[in-house]
Amino acid sequence: MSQPQSDPLLQAETTCGSLLYELQIIWDEVGENETERDRMLFELEQECLEVYRRKVDHANRNRAQLRQAIADCEAELAAICSAMGERPVHTRQSDQNAGSLKEEHARILPQLEEMRKRKSERRNQFIEVHEQIQVISMEIYGPREYIPAVVDEIDLSLRKLEDLHKQLQALQIEKSSRLKKVQEHLYTLNSLCSVLGLDFKQIINEIHPSLGESEGSNSVSNDTIQRLAVAIQELREVKLQRMQKLQDLATSMLELWNLMDTPIEEQQMFQNVTCNIAASEHEITETNTLSVDFIKCVEAEVSRLEELKSSKMKELVLKKRTELEEICRKTHLVPEIDSAVEYAVEAIESGTVDPACVLEQIEVQIAQVKEEALSRKEILEKVEKWLGACDEESWLEEYNRDDNRYNAGRGAHLTLKRAEKARALVNKIPAMVDALTSKTLAWEKEKGIQFTYDGICLLSMLEEYNILREKKEQERRKQRDLKKLQGQMIAEQEALYGSKPSPSKPQSVKKGPRMSTGGAASRRVSLGGAMIQTPKPDSKANSRVARKTDKAHQVEQNYLDDGVSCLSSARRGLDIAGVPVKKYSFGAGSTRDIEPPPLARQPFSPITSKVSSNTNMANSKDELNIQSEKLQKTISLNNMPFSTPSKTAAIVVDDENRTPKAMPIPVPSTPSTVSVPMKMVMTPAPAFGGGELVRDIEYSFEERRLGFVLQ
Amino acid sequence: MATAVTPASLGRELSDPPSDGISNLRFSNHSDLLLVSSWDKSVRLYDASANVLKAEFMHGGSVLDCCFHDDSSGFSAAGDNTVRRLLFASNKDDILGKHDAPVRCVEYSYAAGQLITGSWDKTLKCWDPRGASGQERTLVGTYPQPERVYSLSLVGHRLVVATAGRHVNIYDLRNMSQPEQRRESSLKYQTRCVRCYPNGTGYALSSVEGRVAMEFFDLSDASQAKKYAFKCHRKSEAGRDIVYPVNAIAFHPVYGTFATGGCDGYVNVWDGNNKKRLYQYSKYPTSIAALSFSRDGRLLAVASSYTYEEGLKPHDKDAIYIRGVNEIEVKPKPKVLPPA
Repeated sequence: MSQPQSDPLLQAETTCGSLLYELQIIWDEVGENETERDRMLFELEQECLEVYRRKVDHANRNRAQLRQAIADCEAELAAICSAMGERPVHTRQSDQNAGSLKEEHARILPQLEEMRKRKSERRNQFIEVHEQIQVISMEIYGPREYIPAVVDEIDLSLRKLEDLHKQLQALQIEKSSRLKKVQEHLYTLNSLCSVLGLDFKQIINEIHPSLGESEGSNSVSNDTIQRLAVAIQELREVKLQRMQKLQDLATSMLELWNLMDTPIEEQQMFQNVTCNIAASEHEITETNTLSVDFIKCVEAEVSRLEELKSSKMKELVLKKRTELEEICRKTHLVPEIDSAVEYAVEAIESGTVDPACVLEQIEVQIAQVKEEALSRKEILEKVEKWLGACDEESWLEEYNRDDNRYNAGRGAHLTLKRAEKARALVNKIPAMVDALTSKTLAWEKEKGIQFTYDGICLLSMLEEYNILREKKEQERRKQRDLKKLQGQMIAEQEALYGSKPSPSKPQSVKKGPRMSTGGAASRRVSLGGAMIQTPKPDSKANSRVARKTDKAHQVEQNYLDDGVSCLSSARRGLDIAGVPVKKYSFGAGSTRDIEPPPLARQPFSPITSKVSSNTNMANSKDELNIQSEKLQKTISLNNMPFSTPSKTAAIVVDDENRTPKAMPIPVPSTPSTVSVPMKMVMTPAPAFGGGELVRDIEYSFEERRLGFVLQ
Repeated sequence: MATAVTPASLGRELSDPPSDGISNLRFSNHSDLLLVSSWDKSVRLYDASANVLKAEFMHGGSVLDCCFHDDSSGFSAAGDNTVRRLLFASNKDDILGKHDAPVRCVEYSYAAGQLITGSWDKTLKCWDPRGASGQERTLVGTYPQPERVYSLSLVGHRLVVATAGRHVNIYDLRNMSQPEQRRESSLKYQTRCVRCYPNGTGYALSSVEGRVAMEFFDLSDASQAKKYAFKCHRKSEAGRDIVYPVNAIAFHPVYGTFATGGCDGYVNVWDGNNKKRLYQYSKYPTSIAALSFSRDGRLLAVASSYTYEEGLKPHDKDAIYIRGVNEIEVKPKPKVLPPA
């Protein structure tokens, strides 16, 4: 017990003692008996006890209340913490740190206050976000259901807050994108309106009044956007329709301009219409291009032009007609439509025929004529050339008739030159006529119509010309004969009298035919039989004879490559040259013409035929000819190798290159000297003789050189 | 005319030619290097454009064929039965393997990465030159042939083998177990040379009897109808032909035309499609033993070297001519229509 506390008790005890003493004195004075005194004391004690009990109960109750308060506080604290998603820090702290209950209470209270404050702050935040979300979603989705900003008190955690923030952010992005979209729509709408000449303000006001406000919150609700899109779609359709219309107008306008050669100044006014003729929808952006007024204006112009056109139609028809005539004139076609046009003009004047129809007809005709002109072009060019040549011919005749033509005068050298050229040209005329005739025939066959030149059949023109020429030729010949006769007569006369006039030149000096084998005749080489090598059938593989022969006749061979073929080809050459063959068929096989080998070019021969390696046919023309020669040669080689190439028509099958069914031919495989013996062995040699020939094993040069022998 | 031919018309003669017959020569696929094998037991590497002898390899026997691997190495086939690899930079060679008889021909397939050799031991052998030295490592397979191998040619995965007895076997390098086709030569006489068309559709085959057959791989009637043979390298005299072996065929890498060389000393250029002879070069001093076009077809290497067709006899010295090739000599001419 501490001193300060004991003092009042001591005093109270003192007071109680003194009061008891006073009571004893009183009792002594009163003379109270002992039992009464005891009873009195007992009562006193009882009362005292009562008072104590009451106090203790009271204190006890206080303590319980305090505890309850603390527990409540803690519970609330814990609830707040859990709501806010924070760790409860203070719980059970009281256990560890046993202070008095009051202290504890006092300590926990401020914490609780603090937490409460924080909670309310948090809640405010939540409310704020909620409200924002509410606002935006209302903007977006419309006021379909208003949910008051009720904050769920249980979960006020930061995570939840974050979630809400995210939600808010998403909504904000959504809103801004919607705003952008709305702006875009507005822009499109604006441009459409401007193109179509409509009141933009009015249209958007109809959609949503807020859209008209230049700054601030445009409505971004689904509904608004949808209505904007619909409006755009509608306007676009209108635009397309109008555009179509305008382009149709522009097309007809251009046609009319073209038709009537409208002056540029007049066209200039509608340049902005026609420039859009091929534009696609998005390319038309200019203000008012598609407004009703503008289209009406264009329509008016087109109808004006139409009117103008019908009035000018006659003029036009005539113009087209002259165009047609011009083309016909150029291509020497006869315009067959004259009367038709004449009639058409009358018809137009009388108004019975649609001028446009007539015009169209003429245009079709023009196109047809143009097409035909194209196909005629080639022949026409040739005709022009021919006619030009004919002109020159007639000029030349005229000139030739002029006896003074060689008189030197001014420009005589020019005429002389012209005459020279003309002669060259005249010489080409027959070829020209031939070519032209064949071309024309081909054309006529292809087209199935006659080729007319200024209305006259070209073929008959050509024929006529040919007949004329024939006549002229006859005339000339007659004249020549006459001259000759005259000359003879003169000569005879002169012979009688001894003097002779200078002999007239023979009309045509027949030059001796040139030999194609230039100089060959003089260098014929006779080979005779001495040249022929008798092949030894049993000769060893390397028959050096061949080589020797080769060497021995090196010179001749260089000149005389391929006897028979040379000859025959020479003959052919002569054939081509038009010289009778007979003249050059010298002792065939033993004589030959010299042919320069490098000029030779020979075709490959197919497997079954043979061709000499050195045909001197520079331009071998007819394969047939060659073939027959080959055959001829083959025959000669197989049947009578040493005789002259005869034309015995023995049928020889040359199976040289066929795959032999039999064993390899047992012929010495060394470079055979002459091909003839090989072929000779071919025919009779039995493949499976079983004789000594088969035993021979073939060896290549290399094996022989290395001395390689098969065991 | 029988005037002496001027050297210029034959092309530039290489200095340091082999001292004996030339068995083959080949241009590299990458440069103007020229590999020459010879009976003098040597393989020589020339720079054809610079006319310089760059390397020389001596063998134990006459070398019958050679080919390039790349610009740094090549292969040779020798009469001493060996197949050798030649390393140009180090001037060394090693034996890749052996046959049982002289090795007649050698080809390197870029498609298969293998070396193919044909020998008179009636076999074909494939080698993997990347394997370590030693026959058991490098030999890929041995394929018996009906007769001694005389000539080989490759195009893509196709291998054409011509042997004695006029056999022609056509293989697919990817399946060497069986010949894809077994044929008999269309020509009646011994095969001298076989070369595939660069377009891979067939091969040309020449014989000792002045003739060349143009063949096609495709066995369809349409393709086989295109085959033919023609005579060449012969002289005709008093109705008789003097016929020479056709030793060499070389296809032009650009135009697909081809040159043939015969024992008559002539080199002819042919257009197989149009069946025309395009050109005949002036006569070389002796037989044409081998021909090779350079990779771009601008150069033609001609081995003028007696090929022993008439046994031992005096002959002109062996020479290699490098001639420039004019386009006109090798370009196919379109068929001329007869003038109207």
